[in-house]
Order: sequence, then C-alpha cells, then structure tokens
Amino acid sequence: MRISFIVNGKSVELDVSPKKRLLDILHDDLDLISVKEGCGKGECGACAVIFNGERVNSCLIPAFQTDGSEVITLEGLKELPGYAAIERAYVEHGAVQCGFCLSGFVVSTVAFLKEKKSPADEEEIKEKLAGNLCRCTGYTKIIEAVKDLSLQEDLRRQPEAEVSHYVKK
Amino acid sequence: MSKNNTVFRPRDLKELDRIIEQNVPPFTFVAGATDLMVQTERWRAAANLIDLTSVSELHETLGVKDSSVRIGAAVPYSRIIKNSVVRELLPILVEACRQIGSVQIQNRGTLGGNIANASPAGDSLPVLAVLDANIWIGPARNGKFTIKKIDEIMTGPGQTILGEKQYIAFIEIPFHEREGQFWAFRKVGQRSALAISKLNLAVLGWLNDGIVKDIRICSGSVAPQINRHRRTEEILRDKKPDEKLIEQACQMIRREISPISDIRSTEEYRRHTTAEVLRDILYQTFAIYDL
Repeated sequence: MRISFIVNGKSVELDVSPKKRLLDILHDDLDLISVKEGCGKGECGACAVIFNGERVNSCLIPAFQTDGSEVITLEGLKELPGYAAIERAYVEHGAVQCGFCLSGFVVSTVAFLKEKKSPADEEEIKEKLAGNLCRCTGYTKIIEAVKDLSLQEDLRRQPEAEVSHYVKK
Repeated sequence: MSKNNTVFRPRDLKELDRIIEQNVPPFTFVAGATDLMVQTERWRAAANLIDLTSVSELHETLGVKDSSVRIGAAVPYSRIIKNSVVRELLPILVEACRQIGSVQIQNRGTLGGNIANASPAGDSLPVLAVLDANIWIGPARNGKFTIKKIDEIMTGPGQTILGEKQYIAFIEIPFHEREGQFWAFRKVGQRSALAISKLNLAVLGWLNDGIVKDIRICSGSVAPQINRHRRTEEILRDKKPDEKLIEQACQMIRREISPISDIRSTEEYRRHTTAEVLRDILYQTFAIYDL
C-alpha cells in the first residue's frame, strides 16, 4: 500500500506492505539508523520514537497505521534546543556504555521531561523509564543523568507544538 | 497473499459497520497492536485488517457523565491514566492501567484490546469485573449495542463470545459510592516492571462503622479465566474484620481458586501467593498492622 507520513518534519511517501513494522521502514527504507531493533517484542525500547506526539516502540506499529502520522526519531530530536544538554548529562554521568539502548533512552528522556512540571525523583524515573532496557550501565548512571536534567526548567514541559515546529524548520 | 493485505481504516462507526456488512469475514480488528504484532503466527495469518484507531468514536471517546464514564475501546491506557475525573473517581482503574507494560505500551494498548485478546493474564480484566463495567459490543442494531459483563465475554484463553463480525466498541464504568470505599489492585510477576502477571488480584469494597458492607474480589492470570471469589466475599461481608476473619477468608480463597501451572508459575505457587496477597491487602485495608 501507498503510505504518506511526516518524519522529522519531512513528508515521506512509500510503497510498503501494510504489515511492515515502522521500525523497518525507519531503519531500512529511510536510513534513520538511530532506531534500533532490540527485542522486536515491545519490551526493550531500543526502537522508541515519538509517534503522533507520544513515545511508542516502533516495532509494534504496523505500516497501515503509520499512514497520515507524524514521527520523530532521535535524528529529529537532535535539532531540539535542549538536546545538547541531554547529550552532555548522559556523557558526564557516564550513562553511556555500548550505546545500543541509547537512542531509545534519549527519546524516552525527552518524552518524560516534556510532561514534568517539577524535578523528578528516582522512583518516578524508574517507573517512567521502565520500558527501556540497558544491559551495560546497571541504570544508576542513567537515572542520575535524567534526575539532573529534570532540575533544568527549560528542558521540562517543552510543548509538543514547539517540538514539531522546531523539527519542521 | 494479497487477500491478507486488505486493510480498512474506517473514519467513524458508520463506515466501520458498513465495511463489516459489505465484506466477508474473517476480520482482524486492530487497535494498539501491542499483543497482536508479537503473536507472530497470528499476525502473519491476519486477514482483512480493520483499524479501530482510525474510528473517531472508538479512539476519542472518554465521556464522563454524572454516574459513569464511557471509554472508547481504542482509547490508549495513557489517556485513561491522565484523565483527571477518572483519576479521582476510578483510582483502581488508573492503578491497573499504570501497571500494564511500559509507558510506550500504555501509549498504544487499549482496554478493548485487553478484552478482545482474552489473555488470562489481561491486567485490566479483574478490575473491570469488580467495577461492574458494561462492555458495549458492536455493530449496534437499531442504535443499540449488545451489552455484556466482562466475565460473560471471555470463554477461555484467547476465546470470547464475540462473533466474526463483532467488535468491542465501548467500556462503560459506573462511578461507585465513595463513602467508606476501599480498593486494591496487586500484580505479581517475575519482576516489578513489564512482566506478564503470574497472578493479579482486584479488591473493591465498602466499610461502614467498621463493618464490611460489601466486597468484590476478582483474580486474574491464575486460572484460564478471571474469577470472582464469591464465597470468599461472603465470609467478609457484614462482618467486622479481624485477624481470625481474614484467616478464614484466606483459607477460602485457597480452596476457591483453581490455578493452572504454566511457564510463568506453578499451581501451588499461585494458590499460596493469591491467599497471601489477599491477606496483605486486607491487613493493610483494615489497618490491622502496618507492614
């Protein structure tokens, strides 16, 4: 089937099988290789993207539901004003080891911060980031990085419109 | 196979019902696809896909009225979790939705999918049972939906009473008396996050002057279907809860459940742990001691 949707602010049109996973479309067809396949079962979050404003696992989105949607991957989030701060926090806290889970974690971090009105505590970060698995760090450093980021008011509550608006430019 | 690749994305209920009327089953109704796409064989074989998330009424409805809320079958859990009225009046439902999968799953998974998939481990099902939810099944005939209770829909693992042309349309949940209300939803899994339940237990009740006025207890993931434990409820009803009464209730639920052994857990583990989870809930609810 012919599908058209917006990825990182750009319109895309493709001929795909309706059951093709958004993960494969992004990674293989569109060369957005930040989107990784980990488990392929919706558990590990390595393929997390922003889909119509919400974070989802792209391995569980069929192509036919992608038609008409708006998708933002890590490549798009990199254009955000706050991205440098997120990158710095992950690096400074040593929250990155092999890096395979990293794009998913950053997608979830951005989505998490966007909904925060006040700084986050550890329990909350654990709950909201439970959909991203990391086999290297033991999580402590990631949690510390996100906790640190949540102290920065300008990173919290970035309205959705602002995100897509910026990415579209 | 090209037939497998037929996809319908109706925009509203009228169009959905027309598609069902004019085409030949089997249909595969798809909402968040979080269960369907991981069931590889079923997904591969799925023909005549009908997207329910494109149906505005099913995807958008979260209608709060004076005495109930009506939720579209394709509304994702995260919208239910974030709804301020539901948070205030149906905290047990919010708790169950929060314990289903991760945020990424909650942004896609739906009550309709949990019901129609009829997994014995469906975490929302025991909660919908104690809340006495009405499940509206479409297509409507002369404007009337078929209405069933949750325990009437599931007939076995993956099996429901739904006909080939039927779909879950809405979940209607009554608001209950809040005076004296107590509730709990507990899930036991391999680990605290994301695991499929070994067992879960939903409890909803009312206390008046220290007497249990009414109580509903429903387990999930223990047996092939969810189960209300009416004999256990009977022991507690109209009584003043103390350690002895709770012990009797725990003994009864051990006898009343008929657990299965499967890859996640054994029969004996489930029997023992269900009773202990109930004990824990009742001790905390009635503040017999603080753990």
